[in-house]
Amino acid sequence: MTQQTWDEVGGLLPHDEFRAASEAIVANIEQVIEGKTATVRLALAVLLAEGHLLIEDVPGVGKTKLAKALARSIDCSVRRIQFTPDLLPSDVTGVSVYNQETHDFEFRPGAVFANLVVGDEINRASPKTQSALLECMEERQVTVDGVTYQLQTPFMVIATQNPIEMEGTYPLPEAQRDRFTARIAMGYPDVGAELAMLDGHGATDPLDELRPVSDAVTVRQLIATVRQVHVADAVKQYAIDLVTATREAPDLRLGASPRATLQLLRTARAVAALEGRDYVLPDDLQALAVPVLAHRIIPTADAQLARRTTDAIVSDLVHRLPLPNDRKRSPYDTRPASGNGRGPYEPRRP
Amino acid sequence: MTGHRNLGLVAAGATLLAAAPLSAIFERWTWLVESAVAVAVVAGAAALARALRAPLWGQMLGMLAGLTLALTWLFPAGSELLAVLPTPATLAHFGELLRGSAEDMRSYGVEVPDTPALLFITVLGIGAVAVVVDLLTVGLRRPALAGLPMLAIYSVPVAVYVDDVSAVPFVIGAAGYLWLLGADNVDRVRRFGRRFTGDGRDVDVWESSPLAAAGRRLAVLGVAVAVLLPLVPVPGMNGSLLDSLSSSNGSGNGNGRPGHGGAPGKINLFAALSGQLNQSEVADLVKVTTNEPDPFYLRFGVADELKSSGFEVTNPSGRPANRELPDPVREVNGVEQHQYEASVEITRDLDMPLLPVYSEPVRTDLNSTWLYDDDRQIVFSNRENSRGKRYSFEYVRSTYTVAALRSARKLPADHPLVRRQQTRTPPAPEVTELVARLVRGKQTEYDKVRAIYDYFSSDNGFSYQLRTEGGTSGADIVDFLTNKVGYCQQYAAAMGWLVRAAGIPARVAFGFTGGSNRSGNTYTLTNRNLHAWTEVYFDGIGWVPFDATPAYGVAGSTRSTWAPDTDAPDPLPDQPGAPNATPNPEGSAGAVGSEREDRDPDAGLSLGAEASTDQAPVWPWWAAGSLVLLLLLAMPALRRLALRRRRGGRAPTPVTAAVPDVGVEATTGDRMVVLAGTDADRARADAHAAWDELLDTLIDYRVPVDRTETPRATADRLVRDALNADTDAVTAIRLLGRAEERARYARDPLTGDPLAPALRVVRSRLATDADRRTRLLAAVLPPSVLLRWRLAVADTSGRMVTVTGQARRRLLRWNPRRLLADRAAR
Repeated sequence: MTQQTWDEVGGLLPHDEFRAASEAIVANIEQVIEGKTATVRLALAVLLAEGHLLIEDVPGVGKTKLAKALARSIDCSVRRIQFTPDLLPSDVTGVSVYNQETHDFEFRPGAVFANLVVGDEINRASPKTQSALLECMEERQVTVDGVTYQLQTPFMVIATQNPIEMEGTYPLPEAQRDRFTARIAMGYPDVGAELAMLDGHGATDPLDELRPVSDAVTVRQLIATVRQVHVADAVKQYAIDLVTATREAPDLRLGASPRATLQLLRTARAVAALEGRDYVLPDDLQALAVPVLAHRIIPTADAQLARRTTDAIVSDLVHRLPLPNDRKRSPYDTRPASGNGRGPYEPRRP
Repeated sequence: MTGHRNLGLVAAGATLLAAAPLSAIFERWTWLVESAVAVAVVAGAAALARALRAPLWGQMLGMLAGLTLALTWLFPAGSELLAVLPTPATLAHFGELLRGSAEDMRSYGVEVPDTPALLFITVLGIGAVAVVVDLLTVGLRRPALAGLPMLAIYSVPVAVYVDDVSAVPFVIGAAGYLWLLGADNVDRVRRFGRRFTGDGRDVDVWESSPLAAAGRRLAVLGVAVAVLLPLVPVPGMNGSLLDSLSSSNGSGNGNGRPGHGGAPGKINLFAALSGQLNQSEVADLVKVTTNEPDPFYLRFGVADELKSSGFEVTNPSGRPANRELPDPVREVNGVEQHQYEASVEITRDLDMPLLPVYSEPVRTDLNSTWLYDDDRQIVFSNRENSRGKRYSFEYVRSTYTVAALRSARKLPADHPLVRRQQTRTPPAPEVTELVARLVRGKQTEYDKVRAIYDYFSSDNGFSYQLRTEGGTSGADIVDFLTNKVGYCQQYAAAMGWLVRAAGIPARVAFGFTGGSNRSGNTYTLTNRNLHAWTEVYFDGIGWVPFDATPAYGVAGSTRSTWAPDTDAPDPLPDQPGAPNATPNPEGSAGAVGSEREDRDPDAGLSLGAEASTDQAPVWPWWAAGSLVLLLLLAMPALRRLALRRRRGGRAPTPVTAAVPDVGVEATTGDRMVVLAGTDADRARADAHAAWDELLDTLIDYRVPVDRTETPRATADRLVRDALNADTDAVTAIRLLGRAEERARYARDPLTGDPLAPALRVVRSRLATDADRRTRLLAAVLPPSVLLRWRLAVADTSGRMVTVTGQARRRLLRWNPRRLLADRAAR
């Protein structure tokens, strides 16, 4: 098990190679998941942003399939954990067992010791077990019996879960949710995609025929390239404005954390790179606001009573928050008053 | 419902208050009583309709019906049912009244008497306003709009009085309007329940809130500004309030213009005399040409009401001067009458609502806005003034023999003039005694008048001098009779007073003497030729002029056989056109004789005359004013043009250095050229300029602009919504969006593609799609510039509020009350 420090992610890729490598992964996954290009790209973006992905949807829409397809497309170590109510933290992190031969305790790595960890139905495990992931997801290390073990690079947790209203689930604690870079929903396929699925999946599972198109080294290079994407000051300011807006929004009890700001920008870099840009646009942040921020925030009781979902609250904020402008203040806003009668959201600046 | 009833009453009351300015028009208050009846009936009808829960149109019909009943009762034709139900005859009567009112409006000067026709139109108008005010206030809950019909009432006196009207009725009217607004607001607030202060105390309806206090402060400030602003004299404008204030106390500063504008009844012609003794400048006022060989004075005004304060001008009334004028021909022995014609040209310096004519005119070429008063024999107007007027007229000149005048008998007691108290004088024992002494033993009216006339001769010690106090009140007349020093004003008024005291109607006439500047048949008359004289009424003959002022004091003085010069041979023989060598007592060396004569002080009254030196032509001011106005109006468009020019004025950036791709590059189009250093800055600035220009263009063409949108999103939206799939425009807008996006967020701006043509394409596309009004506005008053300015103003005022708020808080720290409270707390 080669240990590689996080700084040695690999060299930069030229534009064309980046493009070829990333498109290959996307195309590969799309063999399995039809008609969900945006979701697939977002999943890849989270990988390239060195983040973790939470896929949340009702059963049977292909959550696990997406996770497995992504894992298989990259030739790297993949582990899958099926979270059940009786799963123990040691099953996740690993355990020290007594070796009769050496008369010593020997560490048996758990499921997290892999490049890609697919955690299926994560909210079916008890919070105790869920929390076992806390350390490894953020610090990319595992501490067992006082010994700390580094995890490999790249490291990504792809978890799937059912919406918390479903039966037999334990909602993820806030700290755990905050560690997931993005939460995406699969959504039902459209009619054409579903028809293609019936044709394709009739005889065999296409997942079985999926071959890796990339490897850990390439992914490291991709990640390194993504890190170089330029973020203008105005875009940084906009990210801060967005996150601050969630903290100040009257509908929200808990806003997004500084970690959220960081991950928002990282994911935006990855998305920009996937779109072939070497600079981030506010458009990227706008598109990512819901997947990256919505699962971290907690609405107030009033907002819950009013059936305002966190997704709706965040997208509402995005639509009301004016773009920062490093030039002198732009006087323009002549759009007609929106339906809810609220004007654009003005961030508080000291 | 109670609120509604209250509000209805308030609406009725406010309507009546708003009608207060009409008091300036009527002589008496009958109109108010009748209007109050009509308004009360209207309000009652409205309350009844609302009690029956009638819809809005039902309330309106009810009020109109009420108004009709009230009018029928107030102005019956005689054939009504039960005195209030109108019949066809009533309606016909109303029609007649309406026609009559139009006639009366033309023929009566303000203040008008109570004619049924005028009362009818007044009550009808106020009633209609009451209906509209009630509908707007109670029915539609828009009391602010109710100000408009009230304003219509305001406009009546303002239109009638060209000059100034007393402000008090207007204040009353405004108070009515405020009452209405206040009542409506209180009603509104009441609907929410009771009001409480912060500390839980119940608040009375009329108790003020801090907001109301702020409003009051604003109102006071506004009123102060409105009052102070007109006080500041504006160059080139004569009507500044300071001028009129200073002229109203008018003692001899030479600037008074008492006859300036105004309605004919409101001029104090004597006041014009009193302040003009030392008028140094001479201005031509009138140029008159007549075929009469030696005409008597040109005449324009009459003061025929004698009060203890002196002779006063009364309101004339008359018929349009372009109609048939009364025939002055009287078949009396010894009265010779000849018809002449004259034409008058008035300069721009004479500004009054009267026109000078020779008496008595029989035909004029004036329009119908000029009226002729048969009785006073003057031509006046309620709307126009004499400034720059030219007209001609025919007139009949009467000359009288002494015998004819002697034959006139004493006026019968029921003669209109006697009834109009034109023989009354205020009590003045000295005058009565003097008259009794003068007329003792005189048999005929003429002899009595002649005795009084002769009394004013130098033999009796009377002498002409202009430097005297210029009063005509009882005390002043007595002073004059005692001191025996005065000028035309005192002579004319004193003789008028004495003749009246002798029981013969007399009045003071105002006009011009023949002057001293004559060429052929044309007389040029100046402010120095203004004059006053006496007219005496003889039964069967009419008004006969007597000029008691010594002829030596008056240039162009004319005497008649019936009123010969009582003094020694005329020391100033009238030699028109020739320089007069007669030494002038106060003449200055080197002055031309005729001019010296023009300085003759008797002609001290200068009606509406402005010294020629002050009288710069007005049109440059107007032209400059309109130019400034035009410039102001054109400012937004000019500003927009300048902006466009500045933004489009950049030359396309030359490509200087092409750098190979760095990292990820754009995939969308052609290879991008990446520039370094100042060129990049310049390309960035160009992109920003183009984008700003695009946003301004969007605002100009009323395409919404959203501050939360990125350039890309804006471009997408425009492609979707605004550009109608015009491929050129779509390419152009995408280019602009990409350029701005890269300029803002990328390491290197987009270059190579010129943005100005793209901008033009988008602009022309937007212009094609916009409607004509939008296009016109975009060109003339670009909304983008206006928006910018508005925001700038809002920003500035916001900052000012913040700063003053901070200052106030800092000051409040030193508030003694607070300091004391702090100490007490300690």
